[in-house]
Amino acid sequence: MQAVLSFDQAPPFAAPFRFFVTAPFFALIAGVLLAVLGPEAFSSRWTPGALALTHLLAIGFLLQVMLGAMIQILPVVAGANLFHPLVVARVVHPLVVVGALALSAGFLGMADFAMPLAMATLATAAGLFFAVAAASLRGIPQTSPSIGGFKLAMLGLLVTVLLGLLLAGGLRGYWSLPLIELTQVHANWAFGAWALALLSAVAYVVVPMFQITPPYPGWFSRRFGVWLLLAVLATSLAILRFDDEIASAIQMTIFALAAGFCGMTLWLQSRSRRTRPDATQKFWRMAMLCGMAACLFWALARMFPELAGWRGTPLLVGVLLLVGGFMSVIIGMLYKIIPFLIWLHLQNRGQSRVTAPNMKAVLAESRMLLHFRLHVGACAALVAATVWPDVLTQLAGVAFSVAACSLLANVFKAAGVYRRHAALVDARLAEIAADASAGSPAREMP
Amino acid sequence: MTSIRDFLTDDHRRCDDVFADVEQAVADGNWALAGDTFGRFSAAVLQHFAVEESLLFPAFEQKTGMTMGPTQVMRSEHVQMRELIAAAGAALAAQDADEYAGNAETLLIMMQQHNMKEENILYPMCDQHLADESAELLPQIETGLAAAGK
Repeated sequence: MQAVLSFDQAPPFAAPFRFFVTAPFFALIAGVLLAVLGPEAFSSRWTPGALALTHLLAIGFLLQVMLGAMIQILPVVAGANLFHPLVVARVVHPLVVVGALALSAGFLGMADFAMPLAMATLATAAGLFFAVAAASLRGIPQTSPSIGGFKLAMLGLLVTVLLGLLLAGGLRGYWSLPLIELTQVHANWAFGAWALALLSAVAYVVVPMFQITPPYPGWFSRRFGVWLLLAVLATSLAILRFDDEIASAIQMTIFALAAGFCGMTLWLQSRSRRTRPDATQKFWRMAMLCGMAACLFWALARMFPELAGWRGTPLLVGVLLLVGGFMSVIIGMLYKIIPFLIWLHLQNRGQSRVTAPNMKAVLAESRMLLHFRLHVGACAALVAATVWPDVLTQLAGVAFSVAACSLLANVFKAAGVYRRHAALVDARLAEIAADASAGSPAREMP
Repeated sequence: MTSIRDFLTDDHRRCDDVFADVEQAVADGNWALAGDTFGRFSAAVLQHFAVEESLLFPAFEQKTGMTMGPTQVMRSEHVQMRELIAAAGAALAAQDADEYAGNAETLLIMMQQHNMKEENILYPMCDQHLADESAELLPQIETGLAAAGK
Protein backbone atom coordinates (compact mmCIF):
# COMPACT_ATOMS: atom_id res chain seq x y z
CA MET A 1 0.00 0.00 0.00
CA GLN A 2 3.01 2.26 0.14
CA ALA A 3 2.40 3.19 -3.49
CA VAL A 4 -1.02 4.55 -2.56
CA LEU A 5 0.23 6.74 0.24
CA SER A 6 3.01 8.22 -1.83
CA PHE A 7 0.98 8.64 -4.98
CA ASP A 8 -0.65 11.98 -4.65
CA GLN A 9 2.04 14.55 -4.07
CA ALA A 10 4.28 16.09 -6.64
CA PRO A 11 7.39 17.21 -4.74
CA PRO A 12 7.56 20.97 -4.06
CA PHE A 13 8.98 22.99 -6.95
CA ALA A 14 12.07 24.05 -5.01
CA ALA A 15 13.14 20.42 -4.41
CA PRO A 16 14.23 19.50 -7.95
CA PHE A 17 14.67 23.05 -9.25
CA ARG A 18 17.58 24.03 -7.02
CA PHE A 19 19.67 21.25 -8.63
CA PHE A 20 18.73 22.45 -12.13
CA VAL A 21 19.71 26.05 -11.38
CA THR A 22 23.19 25.35 -10.04
CA ALA A 23 24.15 22.57 -12.48
CA PRO A 24 24.80 24.88 -15.50
CA PHE A 25 27.25 26.93 -13.39
CA PHE A 26 29.47 23.86 -13.21
CA ALA A 27 29.51 23.60 -17.00
CA LEU A 28 30.56 27.25 -17.09
CA ILE A 29 33.27 26.72 -14.45
CA ALA A 30 34.57 23.73 -16.44
CA GLY A 31 34.70 25.79 -19.64
CA VAL A 32 36.54 28.66 -17.98
CA LEU A 33 38.95 26.24 -16.29
CA LEU A 34 39.74 24.59 -19.63
CA ALA A 35 40.36 27.99 -21.24
CA VAL A 36 42.64 28.98 -18.35
CA LEU A 37 44.58 25.72 -18.10
CA GLY A 38 45.02 25.41 -21.85
CA PRO A 39 46.76 22.54 -23.66
CA GLU A 40 48.28 21.11 -20.47
CA ALA A 41 44.85 19.88 -19.33
CA PHE A 42 44.44 17.83 -22.52
CA SER A 43 47.94 16.36 -22.56
CA SER A 44 46.70 13.16 -20.86
CA ARG A 45 43.63 11.82 -19.04
CA TRP A 46 45.67 11.73 -15.84
CA THR A 47 46.52 15.43 -15.59
CA PRO A 48 45.05 17.22 -12.54
CA GLY A 49 43.21 19.49 -14.96
CA ALA A 50 41.58 16.61 -16.86
CA LEU A 51 40.54 14.95 -13.58
CA ALA A 52 39.12 18.21 -12.23
CA LEU A 53 37.21 18.89 -15.47
CA THR A 54 35.80 15.36 -15.57
CA HIS A 55 34.43 15.66 -12.04
CA LEU A 56 33.11 19.19 -12.48
CA LEU A 57 30.97 17.82 -15.29
CA ALA A 58 30.25 14.36 -13.87
CA ILE A 59 29.29 15.47 -10.35
CA GLY A 60 28.61 19.18 -10.73
CA PHE A 61 26.50 18.86 -13.85
CA LEU A 62 25.36 15.28 -14.52
CA LEU A 63 24.91 13.98 -10.98
CA GLN A 64 23.20 17.18 -9.87
CA VAL A 65 20.61 17.12 -12.64
CA MET A 66 20.12 13.39 -12.20
CA LEU A 67 19.44 13.77 -8.47
CA GLY A 68 16.98 16.61 -9.07
CA ALA A 69 15.25 14.64 -11.81
CA MET A 70 15.03 11.51 -9.65
CA ILE A 71 13.33 13.46 -6.87
CA GLN A 72 10.74 14.46 -9.44
CA ILE A 73 10.43 11.27 -11.43
CA LEU A 74 10.40 8.53 -8.78
CA PRO A 75 6.87 9.38 -7.57
CA VAL A 76 5.57 9.58 -11.15
CA VAL A 77 7.17 6.48 -12.63
CA ALA A 78 7.27 4.22 -9.62
CA GLY A 79 4.83 5.74 -7.12
CA ALA A 80 7.84 5.97 -4.81
CA ASN A 81 7.75 9.26 -2.97
CA LEU A 82 10.93 10.31 -1.23
CA PHE A 83 10.77 10.99 2.47
CA HIS A 84 10.41 14.78 2.84
CA PRO A 85 11.78 15.64 -0.63
CA LEU A 86 12.33 19.31 0.18
CA VAL A 87 14.38 18.53 3.29
CA VAL A 88 16.40 15.90 1.41
CA ALA A 89 17.03 18.36 -1.42
CA ARG A 90 18.05 21.12 0.99
CA VAL A 91 20.62 18.85 2.62
CA VAL A 92 21.91 16.89 -0.39
CA HIS A 93 22.11 19.84 -2.79
CA PRO A 94 24.63 22.02 -0.90
CA LEU A 95 26.69 18.94 -0.04
CA VAL A 96 26.98 18.00 -3.73
CA VAL A 97 27.77 21.59 -4.75
CA VAL A 98 30.52 21.94 -2.13
CA GLY A 99 31.74 18.38 -2.81
CA ALA A 100 32.09 18.91 -6.57
CA LEU A 101 33.97 22.18 -6.09
CA ALA A 102 36.20 20.77 -3.33
CA LEU A 103 37.01 17.64 -5.33
CA SER A 104 38.12 19.69 -8.33
CA ALA A 105 40.13 22.01 -6.07
CA GLY A 106 41.68 18.91 -4.50
CA PHE A 107 42.75 17.52 -7.89
CA LEU A 108 44.25 20.87 -8.79
CA GLY A 109 46.10 20.99 -5.44
CA MET A 110 44.54 24.34 -4.58
CA ALA A 111 44.10 23.68 -0.85
CA ASP A 112 45.14 20.98 1.54
CA PHE A 113 41.72 20.61 3.11
CA ALA A 114 39.91 20.34 -0.26
CA MET A 115 40.16 16.58 -0.76
CA PRO A 116 39.08 15.59 2.78
CA LEU A 117 36.21 18.09 2.52
CA ALA A 118 35.16 16.58 -0.83
CA MET A 119 35.27 13.08 0.64
CA ALA A 120 33.14 14.04 3.64
CA THR A 121 30.52 16.01 1.70
CA LEU A 122 30.14 13.64 -1.24
CA ALA A 123 30.04 10.54 0.98
CA THR A 124 27.33 12.11 3.15
CA ALA A 125 25.32 13.29 0.14
CA ALA A 126 25.47 9.96 -1.69
CA GLY A 127 24.84 7.93 1.46
CA LEU A 128 21.85 10.03 2.42
CA PHE A 129 20.32 10.04 -1.05
CA PHE A 130 20.86 6.31 -1.41
CA ALA A 131 19.20 5.63 1.93
CA VAL A 132 16.19 7.81 1.13
CA ALA A 133 15.80 6.47 -2.42
CA ALA A 134 16.21 2.86 -1.26
CA ALA A 135 13.59 3.39 1.46
CA SER A 136 11.13 4.85 -1.06
CA LEU A 137 11.71 2.03 -3.57
CA ARG A 138 11.42 -0.72 -0.99
CA GLY A 139 8.32 -2.80 -1.48
CA ILE A 140 7.38 -1.05 -4.74
CA PRO A 141 6.08 -3.70 -7.14
CA GLN A 142 8.10 -4.02 -10.34
CA THR A 143 5.32 -2.95 -12.70
CA SER A 144 7.73 -1.53 -15.31
CA PRO A 145 11.35 -2.22 -16.34
CA SER A 146 12.23 1.34 -15.33
CA ILE A 147 11.67 0.58 -11.65
CA GLY A 148 14.23 -2.27 -11.74
CA GLY A 149 16.55 0.02 -13.69
CA PHE A 150 16.35 2.70 -10.98
CA LYS A 151 17.27 0.17 -8.32
CA LEU A 152 20.31 -1.06 -10.27
CA ALA A 153 21.41 2.51 -11.00
CA MET A 154 21.24 3.44 -7.31
CA LEU A 155 23.49 0.46 -6.55
CA GLY A 156 25.84 1.67 -9.30
CA LEU A 157 25.98 5.14 -7.76
CA LEU A 158 26.77 3.74 -4.33
CA VAL A 159 29.65 1.59 -5.60
CA THR A 160 30.97 4.47 -7.75
CA VAL A 161 31.09 6.79 -4.75
CA LEU A 162 32.66 4.16 -2.48
CA LEU A 163 35.39 3.53 -5.07
CA GLY A 164 35.84 7.29 -5.42
CA LEU A 165 36.35 7.58 -1.65
CA LEU A 166 38.92 4.79 -1.72
CA LEU A 167 40.75 6.55 -4.56
CA ALA A 168 40.66 9.99 -2.94
CA GLY A 169 42.01 8.50 0.30
CA GLY A 170 44.70 6.70 -1.70
CA LEU A 171 45.70 9.95 -3.40
CA ARG A 172 46.02 11.59 0.01
CA GLY A 173 48.17 8.70 1.22
CA TYR A 174 45.68 7.48 3.84
CA TRP A 175 46.12 3.95 2.48
CA SER A 176 48.03 2.23 -0.27
CA LEU A 177 46.06 0.99 -3.27
CA PRO A 178 46.61 0.18 -6.96
CA LEU A 179 45.30 3.61 -8.02
CA ILE A 180 45.40 3.16 -11.80
CA GLU A 181 43.42 -0.08 -11.74
CA LEU A 182 40.93 1.21 -9.18
CA THR A 183 40.41 4.35 -11.27
CA GLN A 184 39.46 2.17 -14.23
CA VAL A 185 37.03 0.20 -12.08
CA HIS A 186 35.58 3.47 -10.73
CA ALA A 187 35.08 4.85 -14.26
CA ASN A 188 33.40 1.61 -15.42
CA TRP A 189 30.93 1.79 -12.55
CA ALA A 190 30.34 5.51 -13.04
CA PHE A 191 29.68 5.34 -16.80
CA GLY A 192 28.12 1.88 -16.98
CA ALA A 193 26.45 0.85 -13.76
CA TRP A 194 25.33 4.34 -12.72
CA ALA A 195 24.95 6.77 -15.63
CA LEU A 196 24.00 4.42 -18.47
CA ALA A 197 21.82 2.28 -16.19
CA LEU A 198 19.91 5.36 -15.03
CA LEU A 199 19.71 6.80 -18.55
CA SER A 200 18.26 3.56 -19.91
CA ALA A 201 15.71 3.34 -17.08
CA VAL A 202 14.59 6.89 -17.83
CA ALA A 203 14.69 6.34 -21.60
CA TYR A 204 12.20 3.43 -21.44
CA VAL A 205 9.74 5.97 -20.09
CA VAL A 206 10.54 9.26 -21.78
CA VAL A 207 11.51 8.30 -25.34
CA PRO A 208 8.10 6.79 -26.17
CA MET A 209 6.44 9.50 -24.09
CA PHE A 210 8.02 12.69 -25.48
CA GLN A 211 8.48 11.50 -29.01
CA ILE A 212 5.53 9.11 -29.49
CA THR A 213 7.65 6.17 -30.58
CA PRO A 214 6.98 2.44 -30.13
CA PRO A 215 8.14 1.22 -26.69
CA TYR A 216 11.55 -0.39 -26.18
CA PRO A 217 11.05 -4.13 -26.83
CA GLY A 218 10.44 -6.12 -23.64
CA TRP A 219 13.38 -8.47 -24.24
CA PHE A 220 15.63 -5.41 -24.28
CA SER A 221 14.27 -3.30 -21.43
CA ARG A 222 13.81 -6.23 -19.03
CA ARG A 223 17.40 -7.45 -19.37
CA PHE A 224 19.59 -4.52 -20.40
CA GLY A 225 20.24 -3.25 -16.85
CA VAL A 226 21.17 -6.70 -15.56
CA TRP A 227 23.49 -7.41 -18.51
CA LEU A 228 25.13 -4.06 -17.97
CA LEU A 229 25.71 -4.71 -14.28
CA LEU A 230 27.14 -8.18 -15.01
CA ALA A 231 29.46 -6.75 -17.68
CA VAL A 232 30.71 -4.04 -15.28
CA LEU A 233 31.21 -6.60 -12.50
CA ALA A 234 33.15 -8.98 -14.78
CA THR A 235 35.30 -6.14 -16.15
CA SER A 236 36.06 -4.94 -12.61
CA LEU A 237 37.13 -8.41 -11.48
CA ALA A 238 39.42 -8.82 -14.49
CA ILE A 239 40.99 -5.38 -13.93
CA LEU A 240 41.59 -6.14 -10.27
CA ARG A 241 43.24 -9.45 -11.22
CA PHE A 242 45.65 -7.28 -13.26
CA ASP A 243 44.78 -9.13 -16.46
CA ASP A 244 44.76 -6.28 -18.97
CA GLU A 245 44.05 -8.41 -22.02
CA ILE A 246 41.02 -10.17 -20.53
CA ALA A 247 39.77 -6.98 -18.85
CA SER A 248 39.90 -5.08 -22.12
CA ALA A 249 38.09 -7.92 -23.92
CA ILE A 250 35.33 -8.06 -21.31
CA GLN A 251 35.08 -4.28 -21.28
CA MET A 252 34.11 -4.45 -24.93
CA THR A 253 30.81 -6.00 -23.79
CA ILE A 254 30.02 -2.77 -21.89
CA PHE A 255 30.74 -0.74 -25.02
CA ALA A 256 28.74 -3.20 -27.14
CA LEU A 257 25.78 -2.85 -24.76
CA ALA A 258 26.10 0.95 -24.81
CA ALA A 259 26.22 0.96 -28.63
CA GLY A 260 23.20 -1.38 -28.65
CA PHE A 261 21.28 1.03 -26.43
CA CYS A 262 22.18 4.00 -28.65
CA GLY A 263 21.26 2.05 -31.80
CA MET A 264 17.95 0.90 -30.35
CA THR A 265 17.07 4.45 -29.25
CA LEU A 266 17.94 5.93 -32.67
CA TRP A 267 15.85 3.25 -34.36
CA LEU A 268 12.87 4.00 -32.12
CA GLN A 269 13.29 7.74 -32.68
CA SER A 270 13.32 7.20 -36.43
CA ARG A 271 9.81 5.79 -35.97
CA SER A 272 8.61 8.79 -33.97
CA ARG A 273 5.13 9.92 -34.96
CA ARG A 274 5.91 13.55 -34.19
CA THR A 275 6.37 15.78 -37.19
CA ARG A 276 9.40 17.94 -36.62
CA PRO A 277 12.21 17.02 -34.22
CA ASP A 278 12.20 19.58 -31.38
CA ALA A 279 15.22 20.71 -29.35
CA THR A 280 14.94 17.78 -26.94
CA GLN A 281 14.86 15.28 -29.76
CA LYS A 282 17.88 16.92 -31.39
CA PHE A 283 19.86 16.73 -28.13
CA TRP A 284 18.87 13.07 -27.77
CA ARG A 285 19.91 12.22 -31.31
CA MET A 286 23.22 13.98 -30.92
CA ALA A 287 23.81 12.09 -27.66
CA MET A 288 23.10 8.71 -29.20
CA LEU A 289 25.32 9.44 -32.23
CA CYS A 290 28.18 10.58 -29.96
CA GLY A 291 27.70 7.47 -27.81
CA MET A 292 27.94 5.24 -30.87
CA ALA A 293 30.98 7.14 -32.13
CA ALA A 294 32.71 6.66 -28.74
CA CYS A 295 31.98 2.92 -28.77
CA LEU A 296 33.17 2.61 -32.37
CA PHE A 297 36.38 4.47 -31.63
CA TRP A 298 37.03 2.27 -28.59
CA ALA A 299 36.57 -0.84 -30.74
CA LEU A 300 38.96 0.54 -33.37
CA ALA A 301 41.52 1.26 -30.67
CA ARG A 302 41.40 -2.42 -29.70
CA MET A 303 42.04 -3.43 -33.30
CA PHE A 304 44.83 -0.96 -34.08
CA PRO A 305 47.64 -0.83 -31.49
CA GLU A 306 48.87 2.59 -32.68
CA LEU A 307 45.41 4.00 -31.87
CA ALA A 308 45.38 2.26 -28.47
CA GLY A 309 48.75 3.79 -27.65
CA TRP A 310 47.77 7.29 -28.79
CA ARG A 311 47.61 9.82 -25.91
CA GLY A 312 44.35 11.26 -27.19
CA THR A 313 42.29 8.04 -27.29
CA PRO A 314 40.94 8.09 -23.71
CA LEU A 315 40.38 11.87 -23.93
CA LEU A 316 38.49 11.61 -27.19
CA VAL A 317 36.31 8.76 -25.90
CA GLY A 318 35.80 10.67 -22.64
CA VAL A 319 34.71 13.86 -24.43
CA LEU A 320 32.34 11.93 -26.71
CA LEU A 321 30.76 10.07 -23.79
CA LEU A 322 30.65 12.79 -21.16
CA VAL A 323 29.96 15.95 -23.19
CA GLY A 324 28.58 14.65 -26.49
CA GLY A 325 26.63 11.81 -24.88
CA PHE A 326 25.49 12.21 -21.29
CA MET A 327 25.57 15.99 -21.15
CA SER A 328 23.55 16.37 -24.36
CA VAL A 329 20.89 13.95 -23.26
CA ILE A 330 20.63 15.59 -19.84
CA ILE A 331 20.21 19.03 -21.42
CA GLY A 332 17.51 17.61 -23.68
CA MET A 333 15.67 16.32 -20.62
CA LEU A 334 16.08 19.61 -18.74
CA TYR A 335 14.36 21.38 -21.64
CA LYS A 336 11.24 19.26 -21.09
CA ILE A 337 11.34 19.01 -17.30
CA ILE A 338 11.86 22.72 -16.49
CA PRO A 339 9.07 24.21 -18.68
CA PHE A 340 6.67 21.43 -17.67
CA LEU A 341 7.32 21.82 -13.93
CA ILE A 342 6.93 25.57 -14.17
CA TRP A 343 3.62 25.19 -16.02
CA LEU A 344 2.42 22.53 -13.54
CA HIS A 345 3.24 24.52 -10.41
CA LEU A 346 1.81 27.76 -11.84
CA GLN A 347 -1.32 25.92 -12.92
CA ASN A 348 -1.75 24.48 -9.41
CA ARG A 349 -1.05 27.85 -7.88
CA GLY A 350 -3.70 29.45 -10.09
CA GLN A 351 -6.32 26.92 -8.91
CA SER A 352 -7.83 26.77 -12.41
CA ARG A 353 -8.80 30.45 -12.09
CA VAL A 354 -5.63 31.95 -13.53
CA THR A 355 -4.23 30.21 -16.59
CA ALA A 356 -0.53 29.33 -16.59
CA PRO A 357 1.70 30.11 -19.59
CA ASN A 358 2.17 26.96 -21.70
CA MET A 359 5.57 25.25 -21.98
CA LYS A 360 6.68 27.13 -25.08
CA ALA A 361 5.65 30.42 -23.49
CA VAL A 362 7.85 29.53 -20.48
CA LEU A 363 10.85 28.81 -22.70
CA ALA A 364 10.74 29.47 -26.45
CA GLU A 365 11.86 26.74 -28.83
CA SER A 366 14.16 29.24 -30.62
CA ARG A 367 16.18 29.80 -27.43
CA MET A 368 16.68 26.06 -26.94
CA LEU A 369 17.66 25.60 -30.59
CA LEU A 370 20.23 28.40 -30.31
CA HIS A 371 21.77 26.61 -27.34
CA PHE A 372 21.73 23.36 -29.31
CA ARG A 373 23.82 24.93 -32.06
CA LEU A 374 26.28 26.38 -29.54
CA HIS A 375 26.52 23.01 -27.78
CA VAL A 376 27.24 21.19 -31.07
CA GLY A 377 29.95 23.74 -31.82
CA ALA A 378 31.48 23.32 -28.36
CA CYS A 379 31.51 19.53 -28.70
CA ALA A 380 33.14 19.72 -32.10
CA ALA A 381 35.79 22.07 -30.72
CA LEU A 382 36.45 19.76 -27.76
CA VAL A 383 36.81 16.70 -30.02
CA ALA A 384 39.21 18.62 -32.27
CA ALA A 385 41.17 19.78 -29.20
CA THR A 386 41.87 16.19 -28.20
CA VAL A 387 43.63 15.81 -31.57
CA TRP A 388 45.34 19.22 -31.69
CA PRO A 389 45.50 20.30 -28.03
CA ASP A 390 48.15 22.98 -28.53
CA VAL A 391 46.11 24.96 -31.01
CA LEU A 392 42.55 24.32 -29.96
CA THR A 393 42.21 23.64 -26.22
CA GLN A 394 41.69 27.25 -25.19
CA LEU A 395 39.30 27.90 -28.04
CA ALA A 396 37.33 24.79 -27.01
CA GLY A 397 37.22 26.11 -23.44
CA VAL A 398 35.78 29.40 -24.66
CA ALA A 399 33.24 27.66 -26.94
CA PHE A 400 32.14 25.43 -24.07
CA SER A 401 31.77 28.45 -21.75
CA VAL A 402 29.63 30.25 -24.31
CA ALA A 403 27.33 27.22 -24.65
CA ALA A 404 27.10 26.98 -20.84
CA CYS A 405 26.12 30.68 -20.67
CA SER A 406 23.35 30.03 -23.16
CA LEU A 407 22.01 27.21 -20.96
CA LEU A 408 22.26 29.41 -17.87
CA ALA A 409 20.42 32.22 -19.64
CA ASN A 410 17.62 29.82 -20.60
CA VAL A 411 17.25 28.39 -17.09
CA PHE A 412 17.13 31.88 -15.58
CA LYS A 413 14.73 33.08 -18.27
CA ALA A 414 12.34 30.24 -17.33
CA ALA A 415 12.81 30.93 -13.60
CA GLY A 416 11.98 34.60 -14.26
CA VAL A 417 8.74 33.63 -16.00
CA TYR A 418 7.89 31.52 -12.95
CA ARG A 419 8.60 34.32 -10.48
CA ARG A 420 6.69 36.97 -12.40
CA HIS A 421 3.71 34.79 -13.14
CA ALA A 422 3.53 33.47 -9.56
CA ALA A 423 3.27 37.06 -8.31
CA LEU A 424 0.60 37.74 -10.94
CA VAL A 425 -1.38 34.67 -9.87
CA ASP A 426 -1.25 35.68 -6.20
CA ALA A 427 -2.42 39.21 -7.01
CA ARG A 428 -5.24 37.95 -9.25
CA LEU A 429 -6.42 35.39 -6.68
CA ALA A 430 -6.44 38.09 -4.00
CA GLU A 431 -8.57 40.25 -6.30
CA ILE A 432 -10.97 37.39 -6.92
CA ALA A 433 -11.21 36.69 -3.18
CA ALA A 434 -11.83 40.40 -2.46
CA ASP A 435 -14.51 40.51 -5.19
CA ALA A 436 -16.18 37.42 -3.80
CA SER A 437 -16.38 38.73 -0.24
CA ALA A 438 -17.22 42.38 -0.91
CA GLY A 439 -17.98 43.06 -4.52
CA SER A 440 -20.29 40.34 -5.76
CA PRO A 441 -23.56 41.38 -4.03
CA ALA A 442 -23.04 44.92 -5.29
CA ARG A 443 -22.42 43.68 -8.82
CA GLU A 444 -25.68 41.80 -8.85
CA MET A 445 -27.61 44.95 -8.18
CA PRO A 446 -29.29 46.48 -11.22
CA MET B 1 -8.07 -12.72 -20.40
CA THR B 2 -7.48 -9.01 -21.05
CA SER B 3 -6.66 -7.07 -17.90
CA ILE B 4 -7.96 -3.61 -17.07
CA ARG B 5 -4.38 -2.41 -17.38
CA ASP B 6 -3.91 -3.80 -20.91
CA PHE B 7 -7.26 -2.61 -22.12
CA LEU B 8 -7.01 0.98 -20.94
CA THR B 9 -3.30 1.21 -21.82
CA ASP B 10 -4.23 0.32 -25.41
CA ASP B 11 -6.77 3.13 -25.34
CA HIS B 12 -4.07 5.59 -24.18
CA ARG B 13 -1.97 4.60 -27.19
CA ARG B 14 -4.91 5.11 -29.55
CA CYS B 15 -5.33 8.65 -28.17
CA ASP B 16 -1.57 9.27 -28.66
CA ASP B 17 -1.88 8.24 -32.30
CA VAL B 18 -4.70 10.68 -32.98
CA PHE B 19 -2.71 13.42 -31.18
CA ALA B 20 0.16 12.79 -33.62
CA ASP B 21 -2.27 12.95 -36.56
CA VAL B 22 -3.42 16.43 -35.47
CA GLU B 23 0.17 17.61 -35.19
CA GLN B 24 0.87 16.29 -38.68
CA ALA B 25 -2.13 18.12 -40.11
CA VAL B 26 -1.10 21.38 -38.40
CA ALA B 27 2.46 20.98 -39.74
CA ASP B 28 1.01 20.51 -43.25
CA GLY B 29 -1.03 23.69 -42.79
CA ASN B 30 -4.21 21.67 -43.40
CA TRP B 31 -6.41 23.45 -40.85
CA ALA B 32 -9.63 21.76 -41.91
CA LEU B 33 -8.16 18.29 -41.42
CA ALA B 34 -6.47 19.41 -38.21
CA GLY B 35 -9.79 20.65 -36.85
CA ASP B 36 -11.59 17.39 -37.72
CA THR B 37 -8.82 15.24 -36.30
CA PHE B 38 -8.61 17.34 -33.15
CA GLY B 39 -12.35 16.80 -32.74
CA ARG B 40 -11.76 13.04 -32.84
CA PHE B 41 -8.84 13.35 -30.41
CA SER B 42 -10.78 15.44 -27.96
CA ALA B 43 -13.81 13.12 -28.12
CA ALA B 44 -11.62 10.06 -27.53
CA VAL B 45 -9.79 11.53 -24.55
CA LEU B 46 -12.89 13.00 -22.92
CA GLN B 47 -14.72 9.70 -23.32
CA HIS B 48 -11.77 7.90 -21.74
CA PHE B 49 -11.98 10.27 -18.76
CA ALA B 50 -15.73 9.81 -18.53
CA VAL B 51 -15.48 6.01 -18.52
CA GLU B 52 -12.83 6.10 -15.80
CA GLU B 53 -14.73 8.60 -13.67
CA SER B 54 -18.11 6.88 -14.02
CA LEU B 55 -17.11 3.19 -14.01
CA LEU B 56 -13.57 2.35 -13.00
CA PHE B 57 -12.86 4.85 -10.22
CA PRO B 58 -16.16 4.30 -8.36
CA ALA B 59 -15.64 0.52 -8.51
CA PHE B 60 -12.12 0.91 -7.14
CA GLU B 61 -13.22 3.34 -4.44
CA GLN B 62 -16.09 1.13 -3.37
CA LYS B 63 -13.90 -1.96 -3.16
CA THR B 64 -10.94 -0.38 -1.38
CA GLY B 65 -12.65 2.38 0.57
CA MET B 66 -10.02 4.83 -0.74
CA THR B 67 -11.93 7.85 -1.96
CA MET B 68 -9.25 10.46 -1.36
CA GLY B 69 -6.36 8.37 -2.73
CA PRO B 70 -5.05 7.90 -6.27
CA THR B 71 -8.45 8.24 -7.96
CA GLN B 72 -8.82 11.72 -6.50
CA VAL B 73 -5.46 12.74 -7.94
CA MET B 74 -6.42 11.30 -11.33
CA ARG B 75 -9.69 13.25 -11.29
CA SER B 76 -7.90 16.52 -10.60
CA GLU B 77 -5.42 15.80 -13.42
CA HIS B 78 -8.39 15.15 -15.73
CA VAL B 79 -9.60 18.66 -14.88
CA GLN B 80 -6.23 20.13 -15.82
CA MET B 81 -6.14 18.21 -19.09
CA ARG B 82 -9.68 19.30 -19.99
CA GLU B 83 -8.47 22.90 -19.63
CA LEU B 84 -5.46 22.25 -21.87
CA ILE B 85 -7.63 20.53 -24.47
CA ALA B 86 -9.92 23.55 -24.48
CA ALA B 87 -6.95 25.93 -24.87
CA ALA B 88 -5.44 23.85 -27.69
CA GLY B 89 -8.86 23.67 -29.40
CA ALA B 90 -9.22 27.45 -29.21
CA ALA B 91 -5.73 27.97 -30.69
CA LEU B 92 -6.61 25.58 -33.51
CA ALA B 93 -9.86 27.41 -34.23
CA ALA B 94 -7.87 30.66 -34.41
CA GLN B 95 -5.34 28.90 -36.73
CA ASP B 96 -2.53 29.99 -34.40
CA ALA B 97 0.14 27.35 -34.99
CA ASP B 98 2.54 28.58 -32.28
CA GLU B 99 -0.11 28.83 -29.61
CA TYR B 100 -1.39 25.38 -30.59
CA ALA B 101 2.13 23.92 -30.42
CA GLY B 102 2.71 25.32 -26.91
CA ASN B 103 -0.60 24.06 -25.54
CA ALA B 104 -0.30 20.72 -27.34
CA GLU B 105 3.22 20.15 -26.00
CA THR B 106 2.08 20.90 -22.44
CA LEU B 107 -0.94 18.66 -22.90
CA LEU B 108 1.23 15.84 -24.25
CA ILE B 109 3.60 15.86 -21.26
CA MET B 110 0.73 16.22 -18.79
CA MET B 111 -1.14 13.40 -20.50
CA GLN B 112 1.89 11.11 -20.64
CA GLN B 113 2.90 11.53 -17.01
CA HIS B 114 -0.74 10.96 -16.07
CA ASN B 115 -0.88 7.81 -18.21
CA MET B 116 2.32 6.58 -16.61
CA LYS B 117 0.86 6.84 -13.13
CA GLU B 118 -2.26 5.02 -14.27
CA GLU B 119 -0.48 2.32 -16.24
CA ASN B 120 2.23 1.59 -13.68
CA ILE B 121 0.38 2.19 -10.44
CA LEU B 122 -3.40 2.63 -10.55
CA TYR B 123 -4.38 0.04 -13.20
CA PRO B 124 -2.27 -2.74 -11.63
CA MET B 125 -3.98 -1.89 -8.32
CA CYS B 126 -7.38 -2.07 -10.05
CA ASP B 127 -6.50 -5.47 -11.55
CA GLN B 128 -5.49 -6.65 -8.11
CA HIS B 129 -8.50 -5.35 -6.18
CA LEU B 130 -11.15 -5.77 -8.86
CA ALA B 131 -10.21 -9.29 -9.98
CA ASP B 132 -13.72 -10.59 -9.17
CA GLU B 133 -15.53 -7.68 -10.75
CA SER B 134 -13.49 -7.34 -13.95
CA ALA B 135 -15.53 -9.89 -15.93
CA GLU B 136 -18.50 -7.58 -15.51
CA LEU B 137 -16.62 -4.27 -15.55
CA LEU B 138 -14.54 -4.72 -18.71
CA PRO B 139 -17.48 -5.10 -21.13
CA GLN B 140 -19.02 -1.97 -19.60
CA ILE B 141 -15.76 -0.06 -20.11
CA GLU B 142 -15.59 -1.36 -23.68
CA THR B 143 -19.14 -0.20 -24.42
CA GLY B 144 -18.41 3.17 -22.81
CA LEU B 145 -15.33 3.73 -24.98
CA ALA B 146 -17.17 2.58 -28.11
CA ALA B 147 -19.57 5.46 -27.54
CA ALA B 148 -16.77 7.80 -28.69
CA GLY B 149 -16.52 5.89 -31.97
CA LYS B 150 -13.38 3.94 -31.02
